[in-house]
Amino acid sequence: MACSLYHEGKCSPVLSRMRIIKYETIGKSYPSVCSQCSKPQCLAACQQGAISIDRTTGAVNIDQALCTGCHSCLTVCPQIGFHPEKRVAFKCDLCNGSPQCARFCPSGALIFSGADEHLMARRRALADRAILAAQG
Amino acid sequence: MDLSQGTARVEEIDESYRRKWLGGRGFNSELLYSEVGPEVDPLGPDNRLIFGVGPLTGTFAPSSGRTTITSKSPLGGGFGDSNMGGHWGPELKFAGYDQLLIQGKAEKPVYLWIDDDRVEIRDAKHLWGRTVPEADAMIKEELGREEIHIALIGPAGENVVRYACILNDVYRAAARCGMGAVMGSKNLKAVAVRGTKPVNIARPEEFYRVCSEIRERLKRDLMVQMLYDQGTWLLTMPANYEQGWFCWHNFQRGNHPDAKKLSGEAHRDGFLAHREGCFACSISCGRFSRISEGRYAGEITGGPEYETLTAIGPRIGLLDMDKVVHNNKMVNELGLDSCSCGGAIAWAMECWQRGLLTAEDTGGLVLDWGDQELIERLIGMIARREGFGDLLAEGSSRAAEILGRGHDYSISVKGHDMSQDDPRGLGFAFGIGFATGRRGGDHLQGLPCLELTGAFYPGLVEKILGTKEAEDRLSPVKKPEMERYQEDLKAVGDSLTQCTFTHSWSFAVQPEDMARLLSTATGMDYTAEELLRTGGRIVHLERAYWNRLLVGRLEDRSPRRFTQEPMPDGPNKGTVFPEAELIPRYYQVRGWDKETGFPLPEILRDYGLERIVDELEPYRAEYQKKVEQAANPA
Repeated sequence: MACSLYHEGKCSPVLSRMRIIKYETIGKSYPSVCSQCSKPQCLAACQQGAISIDRTTGAVNIDQALCTGCHSCLTVCPQIGFHPEKRVAFKCDLCNGSPQCARFCPSGALIFSGADEHLMARRRALADRAILAAQG
Repeated sequence: MDLSQGTARVEEIDESYRRKWLGGRGFNSELLYSEVGPEVDPLGPDNRLIFGVGPLTGTFAPSSGRTTITSKSPLGGGFGDSNMGGHWGPELKFAGYDQLLIQGKAEKPVYLWIDDDRVEIRDAKHLWGRTVPEADAMIKEELGREEIHIALIGPAGENVVRYACILNDVYRAAARCGMGAVMGSKNLKAVAVRGTKPVNIARPEEFYRVCSEIRERLKRDLMVQMLYDQGTWLLTMPANYEQGWFCWHNFQRGNHPDAKKLSGEAHRDGFLAHREGCFACSISCGRFSRISEGRYAGEITGGPEYETLTAIGPRIGLLDMDKVVHNNKMVNELGLDSCSCGGAIAWAMECWQRGLLTAEDTGGLVLDWGDQELIERLIGMIARREGFGDLLAEGSSRAAEILGRGHDYSISVKGHDMSQDDPRGLGFAFGIGFATGRRGGDHLQGLPCLELTGAFYPGLVEKILGTKEAEDRLSPVKKPEMERYQEDLKAVGDSLTQCTFTHSWSFAVQPEDMARLLSTATGMDYTAEELLRTGGRIVHLERAYWNRLLVGRLEDRSPRRFTQEPMPDGPNKGTVFPEAELIPRYYQVRGWDKETGFPLPEILRDYGLERIVDELEPYRAEYQKKVEQAANPA
């Protein structure tokens, strides 16, 4: 709800850039959101030049003023939403470098970090395991 | 929604009504009072089943995704409501509704499918008899929609077990008061909802700032951190070893040397599969458990939380976590309220212990405490109303009536089994709530955690009640005032809706915060004072609902055990609940008549309930006679 409220001033899962896929019987949830590809299919699919990569944040952004609502981007990627009233596409823009979803995630399931920081954290976790195993 | 006619219609709720009753529990209680009179049979077609969500439901307000379900209760025969978390309520809100009112009775099993503006009654013959997870999966497959949310009953609701519950998202129960039995009596298996509309916010930027501030505060709050870490399981250790209110053998004792087998640490480290948050929650006290060893190895289930684990654990003589987790899975999947189910089994076991029940009554069953095979069998028999299970499906209080014995061992108030909380250790404000509860014996009457966790918030108890002494659980000082404050506050929370744990248990959210959330979300400006008065209005109206059924002071009675049997051992050895002292003081604080326990006319007028003053008068006069008769039985 942080997402739709921040972007749209309304509370709505449909307007949220992130959607949660729930598996109630086994108690699992999966946050589904744009991974900000470096060679985005949506950008390639857009004929209007409405999609671009923000140089500072790395976010793949949609300029809603240029979007004609043709759905081309939606056909190539499930992480794009379509605004039912504005009739334009929308997607995660990383909130100008401070994603609100991660800011308010109470459990730490969502965190926002730079690519290298994230990779190093994962590498360290692997290394920790190896070192611990070697130590017995 | 009229199930007899098969018709649905939509009504607008006007602004003055919203201002007066807020939403959720407030709307539901008002509607129940207006539409379901004293003559209505809880299991008949004239009873209403009301689902309500509030002005904050579906928004970013922290922990605001709860739903209240209200109906005349088939268990206690009076006011009934039950509250559930999960994601169903927000989905109803996204479909554009604040409330869903169901009346009548379908000719054959049906379920409702609400897809935004489209409402459809669908055949549920193939779903009848199915467990909750089975039916949930079948409906999703049949509608071809995985992302919907479904509130439904299990076989216990179909068989009208008087304490059957309604669940949503498979494991989130609206457990108490037999709401599932009402749903079953209407031949309604499920309500599936899909909503795609936004909840509009009047002042979005301000609302966002208020939400952010409160969420940050909740994140730093010690109680929230503990609830996240261990869930409500964290209660086991203090309840048993420090405070002496751990429910053992139907409240015969308040502690057990081996209670640590059910500690929060033991659950977290050995059984926790996953932490589960309801919609927009910033606490996530919900648990998902996995059993990895023993005869139930591989089982996975939502829950349990503290009341469930104690109801189908120590209350009936079990301390093994795998058995407790397994029993929790059973009661959920069959659609039973764990508290009343545990209460009924505990009643039977204590009657057996005292020779009041014999093999002749039980169809040959031997009711020894803690016999897991027997307990599993009984849970199934209750849900199917088979043999001796048919008697237990009536609830402990009615079962004692039917048999004509064992009344003292039905640990219940107004026919409603106690949750597993003993006022001889938990606290005296809680005790007032148990005795006077709008649902009967129930810790959620006010959840007066000011006497349990209030001391963690320096100066808070003193600020609200004028004295620090009230922080002591077993001090009578200011306990009526504390209970009243907490009941009013809870009524507000249940109406907004916002989870009680944010404003009572954790006290990170204060009434002023609730007012700011509500004002910025709706654009109608509320003060904390107006909110608390609205809470009081709801409590008085719910009280009047009971009064209209000729229930008042004589029925505001704790189970005999709490007032007559001193706690036999443990940290509170010798304690009884001082009911005779506290209840009259509570009436005075509430503005209820000391003879009848009816709200006084001037109080009703003061709280904007003048329209029920005249209506209540004949009931009061009749009840007065009952009181006089009770005083002079000759």
